[in-house]
Amino acid sequence: MGLLSVLFGRSKLRKPNREQFFSIVTAESSLRGRTDLRTTEKAGIVFNPVESTFFESLDSEIRDLLRISSDATGTRYEVVDDSHGTRWVVLDDRDFEDLVSIIHLVGETITDHGFGDRMLAAVFGFDYEGKKAYWIYSIKRGSFYPLVLSGDNERDNAAEMRLAAVMEEDRIPVERDLTRWYALWGIPF
Amino acid sequence: MRQRSYGRDTELTLRMFFTMFMLGLLYVAFIGLLFWAGINPIVIGIFAVVMVLFQYFGSDKLVLATTRAKVVTPQEEPALHATVERLAAMADMPKPKKIAVMETHVPNAFATGRNPKNSVIAVTRGLLAHLDEREVEAVLAHELAHVKNRDVMVLTWASIIVIMAGFLMQMLFWMSLFGGIGGGNRDRGGGNAFMIMLAVYAGTIAVYFLSQVLILALSRYRELAADRASAIVTGAPMQLASALSKISNEMYCIPEKDMRQVEHANAFFIIPALKSDGVASLFSSHPKVDKRIERLQAMQREMERGL
Repeated sequence: MGLLSVLFGRSKLRKPNREQFFSIVTAESSLRGRTDLRTTEKAGIVFNPVESTFFESLDSEIRDLLRISSDATGTRYEVVDDSHGTRWVVLDDRDFEDLVSIIHLVGETITDHGFGDRMLAAVFGFDYEGKKAYWIYSIKRGSFYPLVLSGDNERDNAAEMRLAAVMEEDRIPVERDLTRWYALWGIPF
Repeated sequence: MRQRSYGRDTELTLRMFFTMFMLGLLYVAFIGLLFWAGINPIVIGIFAVVMVLFQYFGSDKLVLATTRAKVVTPQEEPALHATVERLAAMADMPKPKKIAVMETHVPNAFATGRNPKNSVIAVTRGLLAHLDEREVEAVLAHELAHVKNRDVMVLTWASIIVIMAGFLMQMLFWMSLFGGIGGGNRDRGGGNAFMIMLAVYAGTIAVYFLSQVLILALSRYRELAADRASAIVTGAPMQLASALSKISNEMYCIPEKDMRQVEHANAFFIIPALKSDGVASLFSSHPKVDKRIERLQAMQREMERGL
């Protein structure tokens, strides 16, 4: 944050950073040979809605878009609000590339409406060594990091470090700053 | 591609700029006055900086100790930690180092610490009990904004001049009691030296009060900036508005002995714990609640229009 923003207490949300997003497609194909890491065929994008009627028009457009694209690809979708006031678009598709492209499409639609800075993350579900795991793409920072759950409200940090190493092998840009590996509790898939 | 951004409030930025500019002028005038009177400002300056550094590096521990806030782990308060984490991710900042809870019924919250990595965010048990989830979220976002804007740093450094002037005032007071102002002025006539001392005394008092007023104004503007940031991060200005009105109503209705303990952290609370009984709003560290709510309503209208 710039000196002037600090001096004058200005705030602005960081704009989305989508450059590295597609690295996940190539990574997934190289994962097919692994037995300890499988995709759950589920993914989602999470954003923070604005409490205004104007935002509702975007919301209905996203729902239209999802209806149309799910007809074309056979993707199942669901829009879920969680207890943190954030909204999830959850997708379910056997074809990983469909998941990635629909998430990208939703992201684009949100950005085109000028709400790009309200997106938080794109999340891909995995099964890692029998545990619930996620690859989280931080839309603000433009990097991935792992989240491995053991139990309802606990993270398995050791498994996360191992998974991060796996991700780096597959040339996924992993977030270097560990303090930004934010948990997302209550992921609805 | 259009980009909607609610980030700017030019009026607020201008006001802050003007306040800081006036503070700067006051610094220059004060140091000029000291030189004119033959007092070396360096000694006083060093004293003030040491005081500030002490405040600066101790602020988190000091406030935690005086407010008796207890640091809670994610296991103890999972929901609170999860909310702060989401907000930090949304605002693209590191999660504060410590989250604390004060066991009092008065709903309130504060943030302190010199930088985002060493910051503390504290809420009272009353806040968690009286407000619903989205309102708590809005209050936490307001406190996170204080951290992100580094309000502790800005206000601490700005207050160097108050410390300098206050120190000099005391020094001059004791000196006048024990006769004579420093030896450096002996070559001047006795009457002249007395006049100079009187001028310095008057000038220092003026600087002391003016700088207080300016710093309080700055503090009020930064409150408004944090309100704004909260509305932007949560996307819901009215949640903060309703939280503010709930907090301010509860605070002045329920009498609490605990209030005395929280006096120290006053500047960093979302609403000051001690009500200034209607003395001019010029001497308040926080803007009036209805004024803050009005501004949040304006933001809501802005968001409804969609820019």
